[in-house]
Amino acid sequence: MIENILINGLIHGGVYALLAIGFSLIFGVARIVNIAHTAFYMIAAYFIYTFSTRMGLHPLLAILLSVVIVTLIGMGVYQLSIKPIQEHEITVLIITIAVAMVFQETVLLIYGGHFRGNPGLLTGFLEIFGVRVSYQHLLTLIVVLFVLLITWWILLRTRLGIAIRATAQDREVANLMGMNVHRIAMITMAIAVMMAAIGGVLIAPLSVVEPYMWLHPLVMVLAIVVLGGLGSIKGSLIGAFILGFTETLVVFLLPLGAFLKGAFSLMIMIVVLLLRPEGLFGVAFEEER
Amino acid sequence: MLLEVHHLSVCYDTAMILNDLSLSVGEQELVSVAGPNGAGKTTMLRAISGLVRWEKEILRGSRYGDITIEGRVHFSGERIDQLPAHEIAERGLLLCPERRRPFREMTVIENLMAGAYLLKDKEAIKEHLLTVFRLFPVLKERSRQVSGTLSGGEQQMLAIGRALMSRPKLLCIDEPSTGLAPLLRKEVFQKISEVRDSGIPVLLVEQEVSTVFKMANRNYVLSSGKIIAEGTAQELLQDEVLRKTYLGL
Repeated sequence: MIENILINGLIHGGVYALLAIGFSLIFGVARIVNIAHTAFYMIAAYFIYTFSTRMGLHPLLAILLSVVIVTLIGMGVYQLSIKPIQEHEITVLIITIAVAMVFQETVLLIYGGHFRGNPGLLTGFLEIFGVRVSYQHLLTLIVVLFVLLITWWILLRTRLGIAIRATAQDREVANLMGMNVHRIAMITMAIAVMMAAIGGVLIAPLSVVEPYMWLHPLVMVLAIVVLGGLGSIKGSLIGAFILGFTETLVVFLLPLGAFLKGAFSLMIMIVVLLLRPEGLFGVAFEEER
Repeated sequence: MLLEVHHLSVCYDTAMILNDLSLSVGEQELVSVAGPNGAGKTTMLRAISGLVRWEKEILRGSRYGDITIEGRVHFSGERIDQLPAHEIAERGLLLCPERRRPFREMTVIENLMAGAYLLKDKEAIKEHLLTVFRLFPVLKERSRQVSGTLSGGEQQMLAIGRALMSRPKLLCIDEPSTGLAPLLRKEVFQKISEVRDSGIPVLLVEQEVSTVFKMANRNYVLSSGKIIAEGTAQELLQDEVLRKTYLGL
């Protein structure tokens, strides 16, 4: 059971990390609270369901197509409905809720509210110390860690990464250093949505695909971001794994209490906030200008 | 002249911050702008570097009211007042902002790399990094340290170093002495005149007139958004009224 908890915890934590880091990035760079963030994850799951189950495309091609299309949709949404009102925080909040609702209702109209399944890329399983771990789980885990590693590398080692972090910390000074803040926000949005889409295509074979599948992750992402410290990428990463493992532990240790997984996670968030109001890696608020 | 500002006026809603301001900075020059609090010194630099225009776009249609900007700014013969801030930086006019504002969660070296964003040539970046380290050896010692934990003086050096990384044609510095001990102020001013001596002209906004006037080639005195006097330290200090009322000397 420990191995199962470990594998599932890593996968859930990893997918939450994909979502939460993207959410933090776009919040940091463009000051957008993107409620629609996990809705991109949901439509990515539907795209892969359509491409592989309905149209019978090769799974790899389906994955690629889904991620690319969702990323483009994300950029379109940013350009058309977020950017023009970017400086009005409350309006952005409302608009992104609206975008999420539009996605959800569209999916409901096209596919209905049924639970859909999606075949994995691999079948079979591996025995590690007498425990069966399916290849699909292993593959998911590897891909998640790989994507996280690449993101980490981009943020820490590349010119673009420096620009993204600089913009997140001080947009005005970033602008003064010659960074085109609008373009960087657009690129960040693309990266963030792409990460969410990868999360969506990875989770589709392991779980059910349904129109409301974005709500629970959204609550978790908000909790993770607050837990880790608003705007802190490291905080989002660690917070994601903390809550991912919490959920998995609750599901495995309390077989009848699986519905409590959200409650436990949010409880942890509240405890952390009581002890450290700025979150694990957040900085206490400073005057911005 | 390298930088020429013609009849620049800036209004925030109904408050006039800059009123028909004209000034210029030539090649090889260190020009200072002094004046009491609220005279519009910071707004002037923000207008020149394109930040006021940026702010105007952000605030458009908000409850804070509109910003109006009038006048022209020319930089190396090109009109720049219609350009967004990042393109002004691209043309070589860099502002080192008030209160230093390093990227606090990034290390010193990352801050410098952010300053070198405009350069794509790795060799050039390396070369400029060496130049900056030569000017500010303390930055080299602290290069792996997170910049938020630096002392005020070191942060100021970092802010200037960061702005120098792209080898600007003109460096504007806003109040570098704020919050620094007298000894550190002296060091910062010393470094700024070294920057000028290395061939990069400087437009320096600073309240500490006694030191700055002596090292600057020319000085302006700004009050209520207007230039009220201009000249060398000697010329300005001869004027009794100016000295007592505006410069506090």
